Amino acid sequence: MLRRKRWIFAILALLPVLLVYGWVRIFPIGEILRLSLHKWDLLSRNKPFIGLDNFRELFQDTLFQTALVNTAIIAFGVLLVTIPMAMCLAALIYHRTHARFAWFYETSVFIPHVASLVPAAMAWKWIFDARLGPLNALLGVFGVEPKAWLFDPVLSVVAIIVLCSWQALGYAVIIYLVGFKNLPHSLYEAAKLDGATPFQAFRFVSVPLLKPITLYVSVVTLVSAFNVYAQVFVLASDAQGAPGRQVRVLVLDMLENAFRNYRIGYAASEAVVLLVIVLALTLIQFTLLREKGGRR
Amino acid sequence: MTTIFRHTGQHGLWATALGASLLAGMAAQAQTVTVWSGYPELAPFYEHVAEGMKATHPDITVDVQAIPLREHERRVALGIGSGSAGNVVIELPGSTANRYIVNDLLNEAPADVIEFVSNPENFGPFFVDAASFGGTLYGVPLFRGQSALFYNTDMFEAAGLTGVPQTMAEFTEYAEKLTQRDANGNPTVTGWSLRLSGGGQGIAEKFWINMFQYDGGLMIEEVGPGQWRVNLNTEAGRAALSQYLDNVHTLRTVTVEAPADAEAFQRGQTAMFIRESWVIGDTAAKAPDLNYATAPLPYGAIGLPANLYVSAEDDGADAAWAFAMATNEPENLLWLLENVGWLPNRGNVDYSPVTDAVPQFGGFLDYPADYEFFTLPALAPIEELLTRIANRLVEAFANPALAGDAAAIEAFLQAAEDEANAILAREGLLAQ
Repeated sequence: MLRRKRWIFAILALLPVLLVYGWVRIFPIGEILRLSLHKWDLLSRNKPFIGLDNFRELFQDTLFQTALVNTAIIAFGVLLVTIPMAMCLAALIYHRTHARFAWFYETSVFIPHVASLVPAAMAWKWIFDARLGPLNALLGVFGVEPKAWLFDPVLSVVAIIVLCSWQALGYAVIIYLVGFKNLPHSLYEAAKLDGATPFQAFRFVSVPLLKPITLYVSVVTLVSAFNVYAQVFVLASDAQGAPGRQVRVLVLDMLENAFRNYRIGYAASEAVVLLVIVLALTLIQFTLLREKGGRR
Repeated sequence: MTTIFRHTGQHGLWATALGASLLAGMAAQAQTVTVWSGYPELAPFYEHVAEGMKATHPDITVDVQAIPLREHERRVALGIGSGSAGNVVIELPGSTANRYIVNDLLNEAPADVIEFVSNPENFGPFFVDAASFGGTLYGVPLFRGQSALFYNTDMFEAAGLTGVPQTMAEFTEYAEKLTQRDANGNPTVTGWSLRLSGGGQGIAEKFWINMFQYDGGLMIEEVGPGQWRVNLNTEAGRAALSQYLDNVHTLRTVTVEAPADAEAFQRGQTAMFIRESWVIGDTAAKAPDLNYATAPLPYGAIGLPANLYVSAEDDGADAAWAFAMATNEPENLLWLLENVGWLPNRGNVDYSPVTDAVPQFGGFLDYPADYEFFTLPALAPIEELLTRIANRLVEAFANPALAGDAAAIEAFLQAAEDEANAILAREGLLAQ
């Protein structure tokens, strides 16, 4: 009887939180799934069911394909830049400074993550400016021809990867530092006794032990990078005085379809595709990193 | 004690009832009207109108919210679509407003507004049609986006140019003469600033303006009632794209990465460009010492009327319509022209105090008798069509391989035309 009462109490205590969670998390996902099967212009009361037509059209849509490819390149680019760099920076901060200047380095690295995105992106727009940007000026010192960073189809994607990585790095470093601080010191001492160099200790002790951290950071970085939008919008949007090539990404394409073209159902089908991709990638990451980590 | 309390309670009840009734009365009279604009430079104008209304409508509070156009479009779509906007006066072109009208989301104009707008002395039929749908009036015409040539008179003089280009071929010739280059031949001042990059439908609109100069080439054409067709692979389309490519890649009078548009013009980084009249007000504020003039285009211009629509109920609707009407007071329209630069649509107002003082308005108002205008059609997928075409054009402008290759240009335009017509077909609007 007492056990039953405890169960009822637990359920009643959790119910408000579960209801709120269901309303703000589960219901919108269900609604997106439902809308993706309908044709709706946002304003009309009429929402005809069209089955999978939106998805059929989507996979023949050249803009969507471009957006998908660009987003994937940016997301994996950010992942490839951020994870190794964050791990190395965290290792340097943790091992080399012996916590004396750690707070300074941690803060310096973390500032870009908390800096407001729009002014930061505007600053990067200036850095990448083909004529007046300091990046081309610096390259010029080494005899490199000025590059049209924000206009060249390849370089404009590179510019976005740089901006996104710059922003993501601080968070990843902080999480890795937490990981480093929790690693047992005895393992490093044992490695040292076995004659391991600092690099070998990092490669064969730190990296494997940090796999759970790497899993978390890579999932967060990848999901966040797949949702890239504001960086693209600021670097090369309708800025009429300072032109730039707009790199089409999934969220931008979705917003354009939803609120400029008034095709909510179509945009919802894009959101479903994005959801499936992110879920699949997260599962792959969990499989690759967690299982191998578990076997060790 | 009890008595005192009872008396106090009764007084309290009376006072509460009186206060509540007074508040209710005030609530019935006082109205807040929100103005949604897609042009931040228009905020001072709407605030000026609101200030002027205080004497005659002390009960109306006006909250002006002017934000960039793309965000404005999203705000309208979400706010009006969800019915959560309150009493709103919304600035929209007729081509976009019709989407809301067919879904009963904008108010029909009341009798006094119909009387004012329908008076041919106030507005010509072009503007009345643009504010109407199915013969019913929904909007109050306010201003129009009309294009003309802006040119730097000092640079023209230095290049030995005494007149303005009269044909599109002359535009290229002038651009060549006006371009200033560094030792490597790269342009430091572009001869003719073209819209080549960025996002959104503006690129396609600008291309259409150039295309129109080739004997009135129309990018989107109504073939029959409700039947439309996109024309890109036409003589005008091919000529316009060839001209863009020649200027960018062959003659290099302009480059994709060069500073562009009004900012570049105001900084002396380009010699000429085609734009709407708001540049006059903007230049007066940002580059008052710039020596420049304007001129009509060779064949005609885009005329894109912006109207004020109302989404409100009961007393709120009355207040909103009162504000929309107040914008068309002659004093306010003169203020708009003088301080912002957008061209008012109302006809029977003497604008000469402003136009005489600012000769740059001449390029917009003094045009030949046979000057033609086109506007964006009130077509449901108009934004999608133009955005798709714009995306294709950006790729073309950046592709040097297209320059001088007539077959490649034709193939490119045909592909863009087919894609746009497929959108019309999807919506059941494509002419057979």
